[in-house]
Amino acid sequence: MTARIAILIGLLAVAVAVAVAAVPRAESPADRVARLSSELRCPVCQGLSVEDSPSDTARQMRQLVAQRVQQGWTDDQIRAEFRAAYGDWIFLAPPLFDPRGAIWLVPLAVVVAGSAIVAVRMRRAAPPPAAPTEAQLALLRERALEEPAE
Amino acid sequence: MSWGDVGSGALRAALPLALWGLVSAAFAARERDARFLGSARWSALCAFVLVALASAAMIGALLTHDFSLQYVALNNARETPPYFSAISLWASLQGSILLWTTILAGAVAFVAWRGTRDLPRLASTALAILFAMLSFFLVLVVTPAADPFVRIDPVPADGSGPNPLLQDHWLMGLHPPLLYLGYVLFSIPFAYAVASLILGESGDRWITATRRSALVAWALLGVGIVAGAWWSYAVLGWGGYWAWDPVENAAIMPWLAATAYLHSVMVEEKRRMLRTWNLALVIGAFALTILGTFLTRSGVINSVHSFSESAIGPLLLGYLAAILVFSVGLLLWRAPRLADRETMGTPLSREAIFLFQNVLFVAATLTVLLGTLYPLIVEAVSGDQVSIGSPYFDTVDVPLALALLFLMGVGPQLPWHGASRATLERQFSAPILAAAGGGIAALLVGLRGAAPVLAFALAAFVVGTVVQEMVRGVHARRTLHGEPPAVAFVNLFRRNGRRYGGYVVHVGIAVVALAVAMSQSMAVQKDATLAPGGSMQVGSRTIVFEGLHDVAQPQRQRVVADLRIVDGGSSVPLTTALDYYPNSTSAVGSPGIRSTAGDDVYAILAAYDARSRAWATISIKVIPLVSWLWIGGAIVGLGALLAALPEPRPRRRAVVVAPVPASSPASAE
Repeated sequence: MTARIAILIGLLAVAVAVAVAAVPRAESPADRVARLSSELRCPVCQGLSVEDSPSDTARQMRQLVAQRVQQGWTDDQIRAEFRAAYGDWIFLAPPLFDPRGAIWLVPLAVVVAGSAIVAVRMRRAAPPPAAPTEAQLALLRERALEEPAE
Repeated sequence: MSWGDVGSGALRAALPLALWGLVSAAFAARERDARFLGSARWSALCAFVLVALASAAMIGALLTHDFSLQYVALNNARETPPYFSAISLWASLQGSILLWTTILAGAVAFVAWRGTRDLPRLASTALAILFAMLSFFLVLVVTPAADPFVRIDPVPADGSGPNPLLQDHWLMGLHPPLLYLGYVLFSIPFAYAVASLILGESGDRWITATRRSALVAWALLGVGIVAGAWWSYAVLGWGGYWAWDPVENAAIMPWLAATAYLHSVMVEEKRRMLRTWNLALVIGAFALTILGTFLTRSGVINSVHSFSESAIGPLLLGYLAAILVFSVGLLLWRAPRLADRETMGTPLSREAIFLFQNVLFVAATLTVLLGTLYPLIVEAVSGDQVSIGSPYFDTVDVPLALALLFLMGVGPQLPWHGASRATLERQFSAPILAAAGGGIAALLVGLRGAAPVLAFALAAFVVGTVVQEMVRGVHARRTLHGEPPAVAFVNLFRRNGRRYGGYVVHVGIAVVALAVAMSQSMAVQKDATLAPGGSMQVGSRTIVFEGLHDVAQPQRQRVVADLRIVDGGSSVPLTTALDYYPNSTSAVGSPGIRSTAGDDVYAILAAYDARSRAWATISIKVIPLVSWLWIGGAIVGLGALLAALPEPRPRRRAVVVAPVPASSPASAE
């Protein structure tokens, strides 16, 4: 009984902690700049984002994002400006609603399909056969033959 | 005789030995002939000695700056310090393939002398496969594809020196060999798996025979990956350690597949299930090591790690294709023999958790694979250029990682076949309270966002399960054997290293999860342009810029910024530099890092007044708990070591052998 209460309290506390942490906060302009820069690829680096890269180019791009945020541009307007300048290549991930967005669906499809296969196998669970099967006997024979002699 | 003569002669002598080894090991397996096995053993040993000699010759040439060799001229200079000269063995394509070949030759010799003692027929077949792989790599290093001993004439007076990024940090001597050891040792379980398929075995002997090599390969790969993350953190100067760079992806993919494999083989050993699946996993993990090498070494994908293009790309692709066609073909042919006879337990059984864990690991592996190849796929299909980077990988892999953390706590607490409600209550009440403590602690240290807080809770959950298991194990030994607590604790590992070593690995992963959650979500960055004597405030610390000074070293010129970190009463110096190498047009930043258990101060000299030294732009990042990432990696390695240690007294398997029908094939073994 005490164990059951402990489990309930523990799960509740975890749920509350995660819920508290997940409450969306008002985004400061600096947070917005960071979020938008992390979507952009630093054009002179090997796959680093504009937010992460210490290069001069990235620094200038961060400044441009900050300037646009200050001027009150929306996220989509800022993205459109970079798309116009560099093409889709400048974004480190394709949008979800796009022919190339298929890449977002593959992991989900793998998890769902894999879990379904595991679930189906569990459903078919039946008691194991009582008598040893031919395959088990063959296995024992193999073991007996190749076990080092002592 | 020059270094080049020794090296290229040794490699050219090793190739026929490897080919002969292939023939004689195959004959030994087929004819069960001990003379052929003996011949294969000596071929393996001699080939290993020769290839190791070639590696030693290359290191000798690098240390003595023998610029008559093109590899030395391109990757070394007179001023290169000895340590960085020696480790330039893996600074470029040809040397890397030579290192790979050396490790593979070692693996061949190990299987030839050690593996064939216990299971002569299975091991001889595996040995033939390993000899075939070794022959392929020897062909690479004796042909222009990757010949490290190509000469140049006239001999230049000085070489151009290694890439500046490769001569700045001692970790460069550790990270590539560890990764390569991990990659190459994976050939052993793969070779046994294929051998088992060739011989038509339906059992799990290939798994038990290669349990240690798989575990050691996995651990070396994992520690190598963490060492690589540490290197990139200490050298690349952006204050991060993981950028989903193609070569990082190439290393993490086989590791993820191998992690799935290490767990699912336990289901086969205990429940005689998943035979086909385990063979597919080991083939997949091994193929991913080759794919990763192909991707990063062929120049198909640009990365900080890809070397210049050479004929090696198509050859590696052909090798990969041959391996896949051969092993998958064998698997399909033998699949009917491998059907499972036993059935799954309930969803709350250990085997079910292992299976769900496998699903998540495979999903994570495929995600990384797809993300790495997607730019190539899109370009091939539509001609458009796209980028896939951290926004994609983080979004997809963080939920998978959290789910895996959860299963890591649940799995070991559940019995095989299924758990009763009483078992669940007994096993999970304390760990769930620990999880609550972890979640609350995360809020108290100021973490926000569901994912990092959940990571804290789940890490505490995992550590809670491990502590509970250890406490119960110690208690049981005290009651049964009357051992004092410390002795009982040590004996847990001595008696059942595999289980308790595994728990230590889980703790290491939990520590890594905490370090990633904190360092990714709570790092603070600040830039300032300061005159000497000026200072900036970052959190509770004041960073004082004291001035710039120049350092002339033989291999480079440094401009060093002297900083001082003042925090309350303490005051510690810190330097960060920009380095100018003769073979690099731009300055290379060398971060200054002050590590403590709580956080790292990461300093970069971003810019400075070159004329009068009147100002400098300093970038400071304070990154909490990041050093626990390396510590977590070391704990994982330690746990794997404990799990791989042999038991003190191997208990004899109590097999009641059914009367063997007289029609069994006659065997010389």
